[in-house]
Amino acid sequence: MNQKLAAVPGALALATLALCAPAQAQSADAELAEQVRQLRAELQQVRQELDAMKKQAAPVASTPAAPSWSGSPAPAVVPAPAAAPVAAVAPQANAGLSLFGYGELSYSRPTHDTANSVANVGRAVLGWGYRFNERTRMAAELEIENAIASSSDSGEAAIEQMYVEHDLNSNLTAKAGLFLMPAGILNESHEPTRYFGVFRNQVETAIIPTTWRELGVGLQGTTDQGLRWNTGIVTGFDLTKWDPTSSDGRDSPLGSIHQEGQLAKARTLATYLALNYSGIPGFNIGGSVYYGGAGQKQTGFAAPDATVTLAEAHARWQPGRWDLSALAARGRFSGVDALNATFAGQPTPVPDRFGGWYAQAAYKVWSAGEQALWPFARYERLNTAEGYSGLPQGLAPTAQPDTRTVTIGANYYLHPQVVLKADYMRFFDDSSRDRFNLGVGFEF
Amino acid sequence: MSASGRMSCASCHDQAFGHGSPFDTPVAMGGPNLDQPGVRNPPALGYLRFNTSFGFAADGTPTGGFFWDGRAATLQDQAREPFLNPIEMANPDTAAVVAKLAAAPYAAQFRQVFGDAILNTPDVAFDRMTFALQRYQQEDSDFAAFSSKYDAFLAGRATLTAQELNGLALFNRGDKGNCAGCHVSTKPANAPGPLFTDFTYDNLGVPRNMAIPANADSSYWDGGLCGSKRPDLATRTDLCGAFKVPSLRNVALRKHFFHNGAFSSLEDVVRFYVRRDTDPQLWYPVDAQGNVTSYNDLPAALRGNVNTTEVPYNRRPGEQPALSDSEVADLVAFLRTLSDGYTP
Repeated sequence: MNQKLAAVPGALALATLALCAPAQAQSADAELAEQVRQLRAELQQVRQELDAMKKQAAPVASTPAAPSWSGSPAPAVVPAPAAAPVAAVAPQANAGLSLFGYGELSYSRPTHDTANSVANVGRAVLGWGYRFNERTRMAAELEIENAIASSSDSGEAAIEQMYVEHDLNSNLTAKAGLFLMPAGILNESHEPTRYFGVFRNQVETAIIPTTWRELGVGLQGTTDQGLRWNTGIVTGFDLTKWDPTSSDGRDSPLGSIHQEGQLAKARTLATYLALNYSGIPGFNIGGSVYYGGAGQKQTGFAAPDATVTLAEAHARWQPGRWDLSALAARGRFSGVDALNATFAGQPTPVPDRFGGWYAQAAYKVWSAGEQALWPFARYERLNTAEGYSGLPQGLAPTAQPDTRTVTIGANYYLHPQVVLKADYMRFFDDSSRDRFNLGVGFEF
Repeated sequence: MSASGRMSCASCHDQAFGHGSPFDTPVAMGGPNLDQPGVRNPPALGYLRFNTSFGFAADGTPTGGFFWDGRAATLQDQAREPFLNPIEMANPDTAAVVAKLAAAPYAAQFRQVFGDAILNTPDVAFDRMTFALQRYQQEDSDFAAFSSKYDAFLAGRATLTAQELNGLALFNRGDKGNCAGCHVSTKPANAPGPLFTDFTYDNLGVPRNMAIPANADSSYWDGGLCGSKRPDLATRTDLCGAFKVPSLRNVALRKHFFHNGAFSSLEDVVRFYVRRDTDPQLWYPVDAQGNVTSYNDLPAALRGNVNTTEVPYNRRPGEQPALSDSEVADLVAFLRTLSDGYTP
């Protein structure tokens, strides 16, 4: 999702970003508090002006919120409220159309298995949005993974998002279509400039299947106190896609059975609820719960009533030059006993439970103009299969230990929208996976 | 439809035996007087509608094709041969076959489908007849019923006994039976249920079956993929001795197993898999000095083709077999759940 596609009008988005920005200098608490008071006053003024503009039905003169180090570090302090084009609505033709996108490229070198070093164009994404009027807009993203998508290549072309969004009032927005689930820190804000490390963290890849999108309808509301809530009814997962002979389900239980809006089985829908509080500048805390059917009532299938639950909580704090974040997520499959019995002896039955957490700290050691250097460290612990049901003792695979990883590296921003990355990943339980990574990312 | 007037397709492909051979002997008797022995165990015809023509996968694995050696590209091609094979239905030519068709009680129906004049051109009529046989096997649910206890289990309408479930686990486990390595127990994309074959080929070193009359000639051996029926692969000596992996659906209904019918007990088949190399004296001839001639159905120079690397074959004499006798029994109990016609 592109940060520039803020759900609120551009002027408000700018003000929000400013609110969330840490002070540039290592100021004292009193100084910071004074800044906060000033920003709040500015925000209120902007909102009043915005309301007045709306009442006059005047065009909203907004522009994309270009990141800058004087406003906010490139990694968003708060996940963007929603994705929606905010291109300026001007009298000229096509003024409501906006283009955006991002790209990420990587080089990964396993330190104990250098023969498997890989260089890859991981993602190339082009998005477009159109603002029909000041209240109604659409957005879509076309993504190509691994450079080439064809029958004989391992690439993939996908519509990652495509939805229409409508402001019911200044604090309430409805959307319909294929959109990102408001889960975790990265899923709605996954561009390479917005996270530390060459690759997205493992918890928000293996447990929360970023980039996770569903077809459906959603509502989003905000309050003046800084609370944002999301809820909706969407398509869910398709457990009939589970392959017990493959490692996919162990790599990412939900990622292996997502539907991504492709002829999605929709007999059983899912619901979600997410809450995020950003009322304190530089601080965000939130969580989400997702629940839905995965068996899709399929006939001839041993788990027609299977369900998936995924819950997570996260927090991010950016005091001064620091950027601290943590996230914990847990998932559960229910109603899979009979299905797992059919997987007796297979390497990858459906797990009952899976989950993980991470904590991350980054520090801006240097900045000059548009450039900045952010070293970081992250510890992750996760397990994609904590147990199995439906298999008698001795017939289930041996439970695997938690995957524990430390990642140390740095993001070097040539510009707030262009980043060079380097990191080293140390896997405590499987040193054969240790690797050194390099990356380039950008967004516009 | 045969020269003898006493042999039909169903003579060798009897539904009661999983569309396999009902005979007590490992090979069928054919020819004009039903006194000509075949050289291979008639293959079962079930679930072949999901097979493809022969080819090599990207990694070089031979895959697809019909008959034990994959020489027929389609079910229709497969249907042609027995009518004209001198040791099977033994018709001298297609005209003879069509003449019998014209005299059959269903000839009028045949003309109704393919035209009144169809029987006047034997080659075309023979082509249409084999086409009809192909469509029968492709469309009639008897050939792909998916009605076994295992299917009911997959659908959540039946439970396996503890022994059967353990047998399934042993079947799937890569470190035990590893049967699913070729006899895949999960549903492929092109079928409503598992087919228990990947339609590839393997060289198992099945013992020479002296109950096949042709084997009385010590110079005779069946090369499978590189055999006399596959001149296109004659130079691929690495494929000599490889035969198609059959589906295990309805396997418990069959009277003989493997291409040469060397076994007539399912328990013995599984025991052979796991004890072939740990106890070779159980399966192969032993001379006066106690030396065992393993893989004795292949010339000595080609015995290196036999698969000795994958589980459960990767053992040496004296080592523990991959499955104990009780585990063999469990696995066979599971295989018996693959017979169509189960009613919960």
